[in-house]
Order: sequence, then structure tokens, then C-alpha cells
Amino acid sequence: MLRAIYDWVDERLDITPIWRDVADHEVPEHVNPAHHFSAFIYCFGGLTFFVVLIQILSGMFLAMYYVPDIINANESVKYLQDEVAMGAIVRGMHHWGASVAIVMLFLHTMRVFFTGSYKNPRELNWVVGVLIFFVMLGLGLTGYLLPWDNKAYFATKVTIEIVNSVPFIGEYIGLLLQGGDIVGAQTIARFFAIHVFFLPAALLGLLGAHFIIIRRQGISGPL
Amino acid sequence: MSKKVSRRQFLTYTLGGTAGFFASTMLFPMVRFAIDPVLKEGGGVGFVEAGLSEKDVTDTPQLIHYDVEAVDGWYEFIEKRTAYVFKNDKGKIVALSPTCKHLGCTVNYNGNPKFKNEFFCPCHFGRYFKDGTNVPGTPPLKPLDEYETKIENGRLLIGPVVKA
Amino acid sequence: MSHKHDGKMEQVHYVGDSRVRAKKDKFRTPDYAEFPGNNEAFLPDFLLKEWMVGAVFLVAFMTLVMAHVPAIGEVADPTNSSFLPVPDWYFLFLYQILKYKWASGDFNLVGLLLPGFAFGALLLAPWLDRSNERRVLKRPIASSIMILSLISIIYLTWAAEAEHIEQLESAPPEAPETTDVVAVEDEGYKLYSESACITCHGENLEGKNGPSLLGVGNYRTAEEIDRYIVEGKNGMPAGMFQGTPEQREVLVEWLLKQQQK
Repeated sequence: MLRAIYDWVDERLDITPIWRDVADHEVPEHVNPAHHFSAFIYCFGGLTFFVVLIQILSGMFLAMYYVPDIINANESVKYLQDEVAMGAIVRGMHHWGASVAIVMLFLHTMRVFFTGSYKNPRELNWVVGVLIFFVMLGLGLTGYLLPWDNKAYFATKVTIEIVNSVPFIGEYIGLLLQGGDIVGAQTIARFFAIHVFFLPAALLGLLGAHFIIIRRQGISGPL
Repeated sequence: MSKKVSRRQFLTYTLGGTAGFFASTMLFPMVRFAIDPVLKEGGGVGFVEAGLSEKDVTDTPQLIHYDVEAVDGWYEFIEKRTAYVFKNDKGKIVALSPTCKHLGCTVNYNGNPKFKNEFFCPCHFGRYFKDGTNVPGTPPLKPLDEYETKIENGRLLIGPVVKA
Repeated sequence: MSHKHDGKMEQVHYVGDSRVRAKKDKFRTPDYAEFPGNNEAFLPDFLLKEWMVGAVFLVAFMTLVMAHVPAIGEVADPTNSSFLPVPDWYFLFLYQILKYKWASGDFNLVGLLLPGFAFGALLLAPWLDRSNERRVLKRPIASSIMILSLISIIYLTWAAEAEHIEQLESAPPEAPETTDVVAVEDEGYKLYSESACITCHGENLEGKNGPSLLGVGNYRTAEEIDRYIVEGKNGMPAGMFQGTPEQREVLVEWLLKQQQK
């Protein structure tokens, strides 16, 4: 039955070559942990993507309860964590996932650096990768404010003060982040928009580029 | 080589121009919308009653507490503020914010008996002269913020921070 | 019908009137023998191995999630002056740099430029390290700069965390329920209110810029209090109390009486 549906679609759209290209590409021995255990270092990139998927999913579900507003944000986080079934797990996945994503991303970056895989002809993919790193740090920074507890509030205040201390443009950027005269109602709305729309959009675009480039160039050869 | 633009080039340029039109038409309002906080004139606070009449202001700075109706976007709240008020040598009424310009602790007038007629910050020994200027060699790098003041019907009103 | 480059015509069939080419033959899955050496197909062979790693990872991750419920603090209170700000752990090293004298105050720019250059160099690494040599030991400059950066990041993170824990531990425990100052009539209170102490710890010991001292007698010894007064502590500089040693003794004695429930 499924086969028949697939054939029916494939006959009209010829979709087989699209996914077959991904499915049949050759994976060399030196990245395969089944052949060399030390090749597990090549798994960090995939694991980072795995955590990113967890983050996107758990984030979408958290948004069902979360309200980005100074009066309600903290209450809504407490509610979804304490009152909603599995709330502690879903928020826990998003909370710990953020840290684990940074760790995995860091390990992946170090693997690429120390195997010299960023060199000609893979310069562009390295740049895209570092941009992904920056976007992830941005996601961590903006997400930290959203629970609107003292920790979130004062850390963000310090962050904005640091931004303000950048010469010439710092105060404008700080004000742009803050959205008003104080860290308050407009700041949390802004950080929410950046955290759930702007940065994830940038992240998806960069991830797409990262994967297309690696598919075109193939993984770097053995040392 | 002639500089003639081919039909294909002309169409490509037109395409690029139209794309620019699309992008600018859509993005102009959105970007303006996003950067509004930077461009908005600080609506800030108007003048508020300081709870003090003109004749009560002395040459010695005294700490006053007053309420300001603060607005953060759509959110309005009462902000409790304090200020040191005094008459300077020229007889002008000065209101200084007691927030230290180093790391935001609260300064006190004559807060340390060693430094007469100075504002003293207990956190890192920051000092300011009576007029609010930071004492060179102490941690603060800027003078204390000064609030605008005005007298109405003999009552003292305190306004926004004077912009340097 | 389509034209090939050599101008010959070749019959091409499309599906209906669409642009999708009709299949002449079924798509052929490559045979295992076609992959040289120990190379293998991504799907299903290699992906399965990756998913095994992923499964182990997910079990570990969910264990972490279930073992540690994420903390949620009290709603943000901008007037809380005693809260110690701390960023998420992966920003600690950046935060720590700004605490050093050579990277703050007048030298603030150093604290900003240093990480700025480091991240800029990371982004441009392929153009800074242009040789074709990939092995770590054969490109000693790039490798040693990276290793040095890693060591400093780890050190800075550790230093920031250690300092934060120290500050947290030295912060007084939760505010006691009774907020009445004990023995206001004492000589101690007079000394307290006449010195700079009162400006930070408050008229009623409630704490203003500094922490509250209510209940300080419950958790501090005379020696500790005396040392803090003399040497200072956290934000409090040394020598804030400028009375005689005898007066200081009276002050400490009075502070020890502050045993609010």
C-alpha cells in the first residue's frame, strides 16, 4: 500500500533521485566508528544537529504556554513547569539542550580545527559553521532572559551594559536590544521575537547551506 | 568595445531594480519599526512635585524622595526616585542623582567624615565634589547625573536628567 | 523532443504534459560491492551507526533532564540590589575578562577587543592558517594559539565560577521573619548609625546597597564580623568603620545580638 502510494507520487514527480543522492553517498572508512573507534569524533556535528532538532521541537511546544510579558512570563514558566504534565521534562529538554548544544557545537568545531578540515577548499563551510556558532550563542543569550526571574533580569542588564560600553555604536545597539529606556516590557518582547523568529530563521538558512556544501564537497580526507 | 546595453543585460538590470524595489518597500517600514526605540525622542518624565518648597532648599544637599510615573512602552508604573537638592554658590537650585557613575551604588553626602562636603560612594570609595563633579583619581569617570529643576508657585519640581 | 549538443535529436518522454521525464527503467540501488574498501553507503549502513550513537546520547540526555529539574527563580525585581548577576556558564569567560583591572574602567576597550579579535580570528581561520598542512603538529602556530585559547577559556570559566560560588556562600541566608533590630538603645547602634555602615546596611539593618544584617548573629562569629569590618568583604572596602578598636568591639558585640528568628 505505502509502496503503491510512493510509486504513484514518484511516477509523477520523479522524487527518487533527490533522496537517493543523499542515501547512496559514500561514507569513507576514516569517519566510521565501526572501523576506527577514534572516529567517534566525527559524530559531534550530527549530534549537534540532533540537539538542534530537540531545541526546535521543545521550543515550539513551550510556546504553547509561555507568555513573553513582564507580568506573566515568570508565572507562565512556573505554571508550565509545575502544573502541566511533563512540563519539567519539556522545559528541562530545552534548558539542558541549550547547554548540550553549545558543548556539542564546541566539540565539533574543535574536531574540524584540529583535523585541519577547514582548509582549502572548505573555507566557506568553516565560515558558515562559525556563523552558526554565533547564532547559537545569540539564541542562548536571548533565551536566558525569557523566564524573567532575577537571574535572567540581572544577567541581561549586565549584558546590555557591556554592549553600551562599546565605543561609538554601543549605546545605539544597547538601546536597540533594550527596546526602551529600561530593561523591561519592551526588552522581553524583543528578545522573544529574536529568540523564536529571527535567529532560528538565520539558523535554518545557515544549516541548509552547511549541509549543501558538505554534500557537494564531501567530507575531508583522512589525515 | 561599444558600451551598448544588450537586451538581456537591460532586462537583467530591470529585474535587479525591481527586486530592490520589492526589498526596500517591504523592509523600510519593518526596519524603521524595529529601530524606533533608538530614534524616538526620550518621552521621558515631565516635571514632578518633589515634596519640597523653594524656601526649604538650603546650601547643604538634602536627600529627598519622590515618585515618578514611569512608562516602559505600554507599561506604566510608579518609580521611586531620590535626589540630593541644594542651592549652589550662584543661588541656582541643583538636584543630583545619588547613583554612582562607577557601578551604580548609592552615594551619600558627607558619607565619610574624612571627606567633608563631598559625595562619597561606599562601594569603591568613589568621591564627588558638592557640585557633582567626580574627584579625579577615584573610580568614577563621569560626574553625577543632574536633574532639571524648576519652581512653580513656590514649590520645587524635578524633571528629567540634564543631557550633557 | 529535445536537442542534444551535437544537434542530433533524441526521443524523450515526459509524464503527461509535465516537465517530469518518464522513467525508462527503475532506479537502481547501488550494490555494496560498488563501494571501494571499507567505504559504505550513507543509508542505511552508516546512518544506522550514527543512530546507535544518537540513541546512547539521547538516553544520557534524557537522564540528565529527568535528574535535574531546571531552576526557576522568583519574578525579576529591579529594586533588588543584593542579587548577584551571573550569565549562563558558556558566557562566563567573557564576563570574567571584564572583571580584571587591565580590561575594565579606562581599559574597557581591551576587555571588548580581546574576545572580539579572538572570535574574528576564529571566523577567518582558513585565511590566517593558509598552509595545506592539516596535521596538528605540523602547524604549530595555529595549534598552539588554539590550545592557549582553550586553556584561557577553561581557566576564565573556572575563575568566574569559583568567584561566584564564593560570593554566594558569603551572602547571608534568607531574610529572617522578624525584622526588629535588637537593642536599639545600645551604644552599638549609636556607633553603627554614626558610621558609614548605616548607609549601606540600612537604618533597620534591612540592607540597601549592602546585604541585610538582620540575623547576622545567627550565622557569624565575633571574629568573622570583626575581620569583615577591618578587611572589608565583597563590595565593602576595608576600613569603613573609623572608630577606635574599643568602639569596634562594642559594635561587634551589638551585631552579635542580632539573632532574629
